[in-house]
Amino acid sequence: MDKVYSLHDAVAKFVEDGDCICFGGFTTNRKPYAAVGEILRQGQKDFTVWAGPAGGDWDMMIGEGRVKAYINCYTANSGYTNVARRFRAAIEAGELIYEDYSQDVLMLQLHAASLGLPFLPVRLMQGSGLMKYWGISEEQRKTLDKVDDLKCVEVENPFNPGEKVVAVPVPKLDTAIIHVQKASPDGTCIIEGDEFHDVDIAVAARKVIVTCDELVSNEYIRRDPTLTRVFGECVSAVVHAPFGAWPSQCYNYYDNDPGALKEYDKASKYLDAEDAKAQLAKAAAKAKKAAEKAPGDEKLAEAAARAAKVAEDAANGVAIPETFKDYLDKWVYSVKDHNDLLNKIGGARLVSLNSAPHLGYSNTHLK
Amino acid sequence: MADYTKYTKQEMQAYAIAKNIKENQIVIVGTGLPLIGASLAKAAVCPSCHPIVESGLMDCDPVEVPRSVGDNRFMAHCAVQWPNIRFIGFEANEWLHDEDRLIAFIGGAQIDPYGNVNSTCIYGDGDYVKPKTRFTGSGGANGIATYCNTIIMMQHQKRRFMEKIDYITSCGWMDGPGGRERAGLPGNRGPQMVVTDLGIMKFDEQTKRMYLAYYYPFSSPEMVKENTGFDIDVSRAELMEGPSPEIIKLIREVIDPGQAFIKVPKE
Repeated sequence: MDKVYSLHDAVAKFVEDGDCICFGGFTTNRKPYAAVGEILRQGQKDFTVWAGPAGGDWDMMIGEGRVKAYINCYTANSGYTNVARRFRAAIEAGELIYEDYSQDVLMLQLHAASLGLPFLPVRLMQGSGLMKYWGISEEQRKTLDKVDDLKCVEVENPFNPGEKVVAVPVPKLDTAIIHVQKASPDGTCIIEGDEFHDVDIAVAARKVIVTCDELVSNEYIRRDPTLTRVFGECVSAVVHAPFGAWPSQCYNYYDNDPGALKEYDKASKYLDAEDAKAQLAKAAAKAKKAAEKAPGDEKLAEAAARAAKVAEDAANGVAIPETFKDYLDKWVYSVKDHNDLLNKIGGARLVSLNSAPHLGYSNTHLK
Repeated sequence: MADYTKYTKQEMQAYAIAKNIKENQIVIVGTGLPLIGASLAKAAVCPSCHPIVESGLMDCDPVEVPRSVGDNRFMAHCAVQWPNIRFIGFEANEWLHDEDRLIAFIGGAQIDPYGNVNSTCIYGDGDYVKPKTRFTGSGGANGIATYCNTIIMMQHQKRRFMEKIDYITSCGWMDGPGGRERAGLPGNRGPQMVVTDLGIMKFDEQTKRMYLAYYYPFSSPEMVKENTGFDIDVSRAELMEGPSPEIIKLIREVIDPGQAFIKVPKE
C-alpha cells in the first residue's frame, strides 16, 4: 500500500487537536523539525506530550501555546542552550502544566508502551523529588483525559516480598512523528545510527508519521533487511522531507546547523518585542544599580551605560533584538512548505552541513 | 612560544577528573568538563577506561569534542550505538551482578553535605510547580545516581553548597548512614567525591558527610570553608599538585583545540 503523503496532508490527517503525542530524536539529533513546522503552520493544539529528550522541537510548541500537558525528562538544545528558554519561561510564569520523570523512567515508559505492558515497575526515582513532588496533582490529573490519574505508586515486588519498587503508568500514544534517513512507500524505515526511542513510539502509537531524507522503493529498502528498523504496517504516512531534521543532526547525512541553533538560543530569550523591551529595561536597571553600588568601577559604569543604550534603543523601536516570534515568522510562518524553507536556508548553507563520510559529521559548517 | 606552565581553574578540574578515573573503569560522561577529563584520561592518564554516554553510545572515542550526548561526534566514533533503554539496563545489571566497574560524572545547581544534588529547579519564593529558576530536569542523572558510584562536578559557591537543597534530583547519601537503604536505593553505591574549582571533597565513611580531601595550588582550605554554605571539615585536606606542562599542552592542542569547553586565556 502506498502511504506517501505531502507533509501538509500527512499532518492535516494524522495530527489532531488534543492528541497524546511523542516525537523521535534526541535533543539536537534527528528531531522531526519539518513536521513540527507544519504543525505550527496548521495550528493543531492542546497536546498531551511525552517529550523524551526534547530540544527546540517542544520548546517552540510550548512557546506557541500548543501544549496542554507536558511530561518532561529533559528539555534543551544541549551544547547551545543550557535550559530551553520558552519551556523555562512558561514554568517560571506558572503557565505550563507539566510533570517530571527521570529520562530513564520516561524512556522505559515509552518502551513499555511498545511492548503493550499494562504498567511498569522500576527501581528508579526512589528517595528523590521525582517521587515526592507531583507537577500535576491527582485532582488535576482527573480533569485531564489524556493524563493518567497517578504519576507513580510505590508497590511491593510480588516476587520479592519486602522490596519496594515504583509502578508508573504506560503512555497511550495517539501520534508519533519520527524523522529517518530512508523510508519506502509501504512505510518500512531505515534508521542509521542510534535509533533512540523512535522504534518504540512507532510501534506504540495509533498514528505514525515518518518523514525521511530519502524516499526509496519498496524493493530497494529490503535489499538488506539487517538495516530496516520499522515495520511498514506500523506507519500511517510517509513524507519525503530532505533535510527534514534541520537544524538538528541526521546521522550519515548532515550535521546540525550551529547558525540556526545559536540564532534560536538568542531569539528565544524574548517572547516578543514587548517582552524584549521589558527584559532589557530590567537588565539596564540592574546594571545601573550595580554601578551605583561600586562608584569608581569603570567596567561596571561602562556596562551600565551599554545596557541603558540597548534598553533605550529597544524602547524607542530603533533596535529591537530578534525575538522568539520573529524567529518563528522567519523560519516557520513565512514559508509555505518545507521546500520553501529549504530555499530560504539556501543551497550553499545546506551543503555545508553535509556529513563528511570519513568523520560522520560536517567539517565545513560554521563554528 | 606557548606557555604551558600556567593553567586555568578549569584545566585543573579536568586534570582532577582524569586522575580519579581508574584502569578499566567504564566511565559515564556528559559533555563539558567531564568529557575533557575523560578524554584526557583516555589519552594520557588511564587509556584502558571506556567512556559511555546516557544516550546509549558505548566506548566513545570522539575525534572532535561533542556538544551533547546524542552528538554525531560521539555516534561516529564508538563501539556500539545502543538506544537509551539498553544503557539503562546495562547500568542496572552492573549493580545486579555486583560489578563495580562504573563511575559516573554528574553535575547540578545545588548540593547538600550528603551529596544529594538538585538539577531541577530553585524555588526562590515559589515552589516546585512554580519555581524562581527552572532547569532542564533530571535527564539521565537520577538513574545514574541510583545505580552508579558518582563524581559530582560543581562550581564552588556558597549559594550552591547548602545545608538543605530545594529538590533532590539525584540521590546522594540521603540523610547519612543507612539513608540510601531506607529510601529503597542500592546502599553500596553513592557519591564518591565532589570536584570543584577549589578542591576535591570526599564523604566520611562513618557520617557520610562531605569533607575537604584535596585543595589545589591556587586554592586553600580557608577558601573552601568560605565558599561552602555548611560546616565542612578541612582538617584532613592535602595539597593536590597541578598538571604538568605536557598535560596542559595535550588539553589545548589535542583534546579541545577549538576551546569548546576549556577557554584558554590570551597571553
